[in-house]
Amino acid sequence: MIRVVSTFCVGLMGLSILSLYHISEQTRVTRQDLANTEKSVAAERVQISILEAQWQKVAGPDTIQKLAESSLGMNDTATVQLSSLTQLPRRGDEPLNGEQVNTASAQVPVPPVPGVVKAAVRSGM
Amino acid sequence: MTPPSTVFQRRILIGAVICVAAFSLVCVRLIDVTLLNAGSNVPRRAAPVQLSRGDLLDRGGEIIARDLPADDLYARPQMLADKRRAAHELAVATGADEQRLAHTFAGKSKSVLVARQVSQTARDKVNLLKLPGLEYLPNSKRYYPDGRSFAQVIGVTDLDGKGVSGLELGLEKRIRGIHEPITTSLDTRVQFILAHEAQLAMDEFHSKAAGGLVMDVRTGEILGLVSLPDFDPNDRTYAGTDSGRNIMVQDVYELGSVFKIFTFAMAIENHNVRLDEYLPIGNGYKIGRYTIHEAEHMPATLAARDVLALSSNIGTAQIALRSGPDRQRAFLTKMGLLGPIASELPERAHPLFPSHWGIIETATIGFGHGVSVSPLSFAAAAAAVVNGGRRITPTFLRHPEDGRGEQIISPQTSATMRELLRYVVTNGTGKKADVPGYDVGGKTGSAEKSAGRHGYQAHKLVTSFCATFPIANPRYLVFVILDEPHGTKATGGFALAGYTAAPLAGHVIARIAPLLGVPIDPITAAKENS
Repeated sequence: MIRVVSTFCVGLMGLSILSLYHISEQTRVTRQDLANTEKSVAAERVQISILEAQWQKVAGPDTIQKLAESSLGMNDTATVQLSSLTQLPRRGDEPLNGEQVNTASAQVPVPPVPGVVKAAVRSGM
Repeated sequence: MTPPSTVFQRRILIGAVICVAAFSLVCVRLIDVTLLNAGSNVPRRAAPVQLSRGDLLDRGGEIIARDLPADDLYARPQMLADKRRAAHELAVATGADEQRLAHTFAGKSKSVLVARQVSQTARDKVNLLKLPGLEYLPNSKRYYPDGRSFAQVIGVTDLDGKGVSGLELGLEKRIRGIHEPITTSLDTRVQFILAHEAQLAMDEFHSKAAGGLVMDVRTGEILGLVSLPDFDPNDRTYAGTDSGRNIMVQDVYELGSVFKIFTFAMAIENHNVRLDEYLPIGNGYKIGRYTIHEAEHMPATLAARDVLALSSNIGTAQIALRSGPDRQRAFLTKMGLLGPIASELPERAHPLFPSHWGIIETATIGFGHGVSVSPLSFAAAAAAVVNGGRRITPTFLRHPEDGRGEQIISPQTSATMRELLRYVVTNGTGKKADVPGYDVGGKTGSAEKSAGRHGYQAHKLVTSFCATFPIANPRYLVFVILDEPHGTKATGGFALAGYTAAPLAGHVIARIAPLLGVPIDPITAAKENS
C-alpha cells in the first residue's frame, strides 16, 4: 500500500513539476509578448499623436483654402446664399412677407481674385 | 493480521501525506487560475505617451498645440574612432554646430550633448551613420500645426518645455504634467480668417501693424485674436519683420472716435442727451486756450445721432461736457477701462489716463484722445455696452455658459446704443463694414498718434473699427485695428478708419458669420441689395 501511495505521490510530484515548468515558461513567453505589445502600442500611440498633429496641419483652413483656390478655382463666397430653415416659407405661405423668394440671397460684391481666375482658366473652368 | 508499521514507514507516510496536501493545494490553485478565473484577467492598458504638456485644443476639438516626441541626442566620445569625422557627420545630420562638437568630443567629457529635440528626419539621418556610442534621452517638442496663425495668442515654450508667452505661459500650471487636453475658446476657422484678412489689409494699406479679435459678447469667449506682425512658433526665431509683441493686449492706444461709444452710452444713461436734439458744430470749438477741430468738414448743426454717425468731435465734446469730469471718470472706471484687464493671457497693459482730469481732458477723452487702453480692454467694455449692459470678462477658455456679470448700464441704454451703432453703419462713417443680411452695427475710430510733448502727428493714424452683429440681439463683437495705414488709389488717398478698418471688419464678418451659424436676415439682405 505504502509503495503504491509513494509511487502515486512521486508520479503526481513529477507531473506537477512538469506542469508548473510548462506554465511558468508559458507565462514568461506571454510576459515578453505583452511587453513587446505594450512597446508597440506605445510606439503606435506616438505615431498616432504625430499623425493627428500632421493631419491638423494638412487639413487646416490655410491649406484647404490654398487647395480650393488652386485646384478647384474656388474663392471666398461672393454670394451669400444662406438662410435658416425657420425663415423659409412653408408651402402655400406668402414668401417672405410678400417679397420674392429669390431676393433671399444676399449679393455681396467681392472683387475677383486674380490667382483664382488664372487657376480657373488653367483648369478649363 | 498485518504487522505494525515501522517508524520509517510512518515517516514516509507522513511525508507522502504532506506532499499530497501541498500538491493538492497547487492543483486547486492551478484549476482556479486556469479554469475558474480564466476570464477575469483584464488585459493591462499600454502606458500613455509620456509628454510634459497637455494638448491645447480649439473650441471644436482641433489641435492647436501638442507635444511631439523629439529626443535629445548624446554621444560618448571615447567610443568614437574618428572624432573629427563624427563631429562633421553629426553636425550635417542634426544641424548642430560642428566646431562645438569637435571641441567637446576632443575633451574629457564622458557624454556630450549633440543636439536637443532631434526630429524624426534628423534621427533617420543619424541612424544611417551607424556611429557607435550614440544614445537618445526622451524629450518632446511643442508643435503648432497652424503655425503663425495662433502664434501671438498661444505663445511658445522654451527648450525645456516651459511656457514663455501667450496661453502657454498663462495656462502653465494647468497644462504642465497633465495628459488631459485643455479646450480653449478659440476657433481655428475664425482665427485663420481674422489673420488672413488682417494680413491682406496690412499689405494693402502698408500699415506697421494690424490686429483683430472676435469675442462672444454673452460668454466673454475670445474666438480669435490676431496681432501682426507675428512669428513662426515652430521655428521660435524671428526673421525680418517678425515680432513677438501682441499689440492687442500688450500695447495701449488712444483709439480716437471709437471711444465715442462710451461718451454716448454715458450721456444716454445719465439722460444728458436726446438723440433728435441738434447741436451746433461750426468751425472749431474753443475751450479755454484750446480749440477742438473736426477731422472732416461738418454741417453747422447736427442731430445727436448724426454726431455719432458722422463722428463729430465738437458735438461729442459738448455731450461729454454735459456729464463732467467726475462722472466721466467714474463711468470709464465702471466700464473697466482705467485698469488692466484680467484674462488667461499673462501679457497685460496698464491704461494711460491724465492725472489731472479737467474740462479739456473731459472733452478730448469724449472723442477718444487722452486715454490709452489696450484693444482687448476696449473690446470687453464695448461688449458690455451692447450685450444688455452687463459686465463681461474676456476668457480664452471654453465657457459656453452666459458669462455676463453685474449690470453696469441699463438694458434700455444698451438697446439705444445698438440702434445708434446700426445707424453709424447704415448712415455714417461705417458703411463699408456693412454685410447685407447680418445687420452689422459699429463705430469707426481714427486717432492721430501722439508725438509726446509735440502734440499729435497728423499723418500717422491708428484706425480701428468696433463692430457687433446681429445688431438686434448681438452675439459677436469684432474689433480690428491698423497702425499707421496709408491711403491708396482705391480709397482716394484717405487712410481714415471708414476706408481702412471698416472694410476689414466687414470682410471678417462676411466670412465668419456663416461659419458661426448666425442666421442671415433675408429681409434686410433683400433691402440692402435692391
